[in-house]
Amino acid sequence: MRVGLLPREGGGTYRFVILFLATIGILISSLPVIVVTIMSFSASEYSSFPPTEFSLRWYVEVLQLFTSEDPSSAQSVVDSTFTSLLVAFLVMVISTLVCIPLAYALARSNRNLREGMELLFTLPLVFPLVMLGIAFLLIAESLQFDLGIWRIAIPHIALVLPFVLRNCLSAMNGISVEIEEAAISLGASPLRAIWDVVIPLMKAGILAGLIFALIISFNEFTVTFFMYTIDLSTLPIWMYSRTVSSLDPATLALSVFIIVVDVFLVVLVDKLIAGRGNLF
Amino acid sequence: MSTELLPRKQALLFAAPAFIAILPFLAACFFILRFSLSSEQGTIEGLSIQAYRDLMTPFFGRSVWLTLKLAFVATLIVMVLAVPLAFVMTSLRSSFFRRLLTISILLPLILNLLVQAYGWILLLGPSGVLNSTLKAMGIIERPLFLLFNETGVLLGLVQTSLPLAVFPIVGAVRAISPEYLEAASSLGAGHWRTFRDVTVPLLRPGLVGAASIVFAFNASAFAIPLLLGGRRVQMMGLVIRDMISPLFNWSGAAAAGMILIALTIFVLAASSWLVRLTTTTKETR
Amino acid sequence: MVTNTHLNIEAVSKSFGPVTALTQIDLKIERGSFVCLLGPSGCGKTTLLRIIAGFEKPTKGRLLLDGADISDIPPHKRGFGMVFQSLALFPHMSVAQNIAYGLKLRKASAKEQRERVEELLTVIELPDIADRAVSALSGGQRQRVAIARALAIKPKLFLLDEPLSALDAKLRDNMQIELRRLQQKFGVTTVLVTHDQTEAMMLADELVVLDHGKVQQAATPTSVYRQPANSLVADFIGAANLVRTRVGENGRLVLFGNTVEMAVDHDPGTAVNVAVRAENISLRSAQADQEAAGRVVFARDLGAFKEWLVSFEDQEIRVRGSASDEIEFQVGDLVTLTVDPARISVFAAS
Repeated sequence: MRVGLLPREGGGTYRFVILFLATIGILISSLPVIVVTIMSFSASEYSSFPPTEFSLRWYVEVLQLFTSEDPSSAQSVVDSTFTSLLVAFLVMVISTLVCIPLAYALARSNRNLREGMELLFTLPLVFPLVMLGIAFLLIAESLQFDLGIWRIAIPHIALVLPFVLRNCLSAMNGISVEIEEAAISLGASPLRAIWDVVIPLMKAGILAGLIFALIISFNEFTVTFFMYTIDLSTLPIWMYSRTVSSLDPATLALSVFIIVVDVFLVVLVDKLIAGRGNLF
Repeated sequence: MSTELLPRKQALLFAAPAFIAILPFLAACFFILRFSLSSEQGTIEGLSIQAYRDLMTPFFGRSVWLTLKLAFVATLIVMVLAVPLAFVMTSLRSSFFRRLLTISILLPLILNLLVQAYGWILLLGPSGVLNSTLKAMGIIERPLFLLFNETGVLLGLVQTSLPLAVFPIVGAVRAISPEYLEAASSLGAGHWRTFRDVTVPLLRPGLVGAASIVFAFNASAFAIPLLLGGRRVQMMGLVIRDMISPLFNWSGAAAAGMILIALTIFVLAASSWLVRLTTTTKETR
Repeated sequence: MVTNTHLNIEAVSKSFGPVTALTQIDLKIERGSFVCLLGPSGCGKTTLLRIIAGFEKPTKGRLLLDGADISDIPPHKRGFGMVFQSLALFPHMSVAQNIAYGLKLRKASAKEQRERVEELLTVIELPDIADRAVSALSGGQRQRVAIARALAIKPKLFLLDEPLSALDAKLRDNMQIELRRLQQKFGVTTVLVTHDQTEAMMLADELVVLDHGKVQQAATPTSVYRQPANSLVADFIGAANLVRTRVGENGRLVLFGNTVEMAVDHDPGTAVNVAVRAENISLRSAQADQEAAGRVVFARDLGAFKEWLVSFEDQEIRVRGSASDEIEFQVGDLVTLTVDPARISVFAAS
């Protein structure tokens, strides 16, 4: 009989317990998303599940929200979507651009330095988000000038750095010093060797980092919740403001749209780093 | 032998942009610390521990206790679910199912928390799926209150922090050679016995690391208790926010935040110490 | 062969922090010659090669190429072709792109690049693989491509760091012949690092034996084999026995209980080490009461030759006999050992 962590045949109670717990885990993870998706196709205003009738009326309503002439509703959702996208784009580009050279420097430095730096850049991951929100709010308020879009983008960059750096570092892991030296021995300057050999070989990790930054920034709620102003708001904040009092099926339709985009991006990341380990 | 190390000057140059990017974060950390020691509630002025002293109330104590309790229980549940999930994920042959599983586990962490809160309200709310089903079956007469209390918050915490545990454990599981399991099996160990004597000890550093991150994440949760606790579950995240929003007690919020950070760092340090302890015994053997 | 010095290594020392890797290396490498740096792992041979390539800076000393000091020239401006232990082929480039990379850096035209790639692929006898991915090549093919890539830039020096160590024995043998053929065809001055003494003997015009960060001997393979400079070299080259013994009262060497008719320049009574190769010892059956007899403790027949381990006093001596030898010795047999005085080297015991 083949032995494994999850036996293929036999295994008795062990196999049953493992599969049972895994099933519970999958249900807890995915049920809310599934329910939201189904409900967004409901024809009824009331949130009873399962829906008695299906329709696309909430999707139509979302479309109307975006195209409506009424400035009060349309303006805010279009503006916050645009802000979300712009912030996510800035965060994605900047965090990746700063992490590539850092990952290179860390991979080619001695171990102690590398471990210390990794710890420093993991801090935003475990730092309480509420505290970050408050601290960034205090700093932004105490500044003499208006930060504009950077009011939200700067905190987001700090939040995504751990994810982007990890992706770039794991991409660097497989690139030996010898391959760089080979390029140098053929006449490439050290910087040229990085550009010609290291960067192309890091490509998958870099793309994964880019996408991670995009997803996290676009979906961020907690810190943004402290930083938003009447003039500068993101899509998640707009959705929250619409549902403080009651559930709005149109928001569900919008959520489904976000889910689809996120799923697509996650699949892309998973393909990029396939077989080479971890999302974290 | 020699490995080419980057010259120090060049390494610093390469690291500089990233340092600039993380500088606001470090400034924010410092700001919090400084504000918590202010003698005024609304501005940074003077140096005092008044803000910390003002926190010594039964209300704040209950909040700390509740936060620790919920974070601990959630971490325990997460670990019990994450290990089997990691086993399943590593033994899936079809890349389609592996990807599907990856997405369904990862999505809760990155997806807008609001969307998930909607999902839970639809599922477990007073008129949600569960309650209406149970009522229709005649098992209950009045709806069960599963949300807007500790149960709801716990569920949300487990859901959002599960991926933080599953993926590192998947990495650790991949590193276990099947030969160890075959060796244990050939020596007569059953599945449970192999799990206890071989798998868990080999996974231990990964498990402790994953658990500590999950704990830190959950202890500082804000959106989940806000959305699923209905403000009735006063975890520290919410308490801190309430100090600011209606009360404008900035220094108090900063002090409470420092306590939360201290608790988090203590847990992380303790667990990394634990890991080091177990790995050094392995190396010296 | 032109006999002028191409590369002159002058008093080069290298230390990594407190660890000394190389001490006072002085070497003259002849133009067009094939030099092998040979030594056990950790002897500093790779460090020396990396100093030549420019990837390490010597702590002391300097390098002269055709009389000009190149110590401060960065590696990418030296124009030395190098083949790495891992080969370090660029996985994101095709075979042709790999070979042409150095030419591209030298701003050669597309036509020049194409022609040179074609020429080299013909030389390495793999004319049809230009557009293949590196990952689609076999071990031997990768080897050849790595060599072609380094030779494409018409290097002033051709440096190889244990390039054949990953190949299996048969392929390695073929590649050694190939390598020597290519080197002679291009006439390029070559330095190869290896820990395999057969490989070094086979390839080298000059053999440089390194140990403990010092040059122990630099000479032709034959003279290193026949007249090892010291016991370290003798121990490392070939299956040599290092026998502890002493010089007799008459100034003659005592070996295996017999006096060897050979003058030694050591005082009578001093302890010495004698290096004697397994194939230079012959065995004879001994009587049970004979003095100075050893006992066979291990015997094996390797087809091409036979080998015995003989326990003599407190030492184990390895002896090799040709397969055609009539005599069979079994474990437990008593034997006497005799040596040809012309084939032994004597060193003072350290």
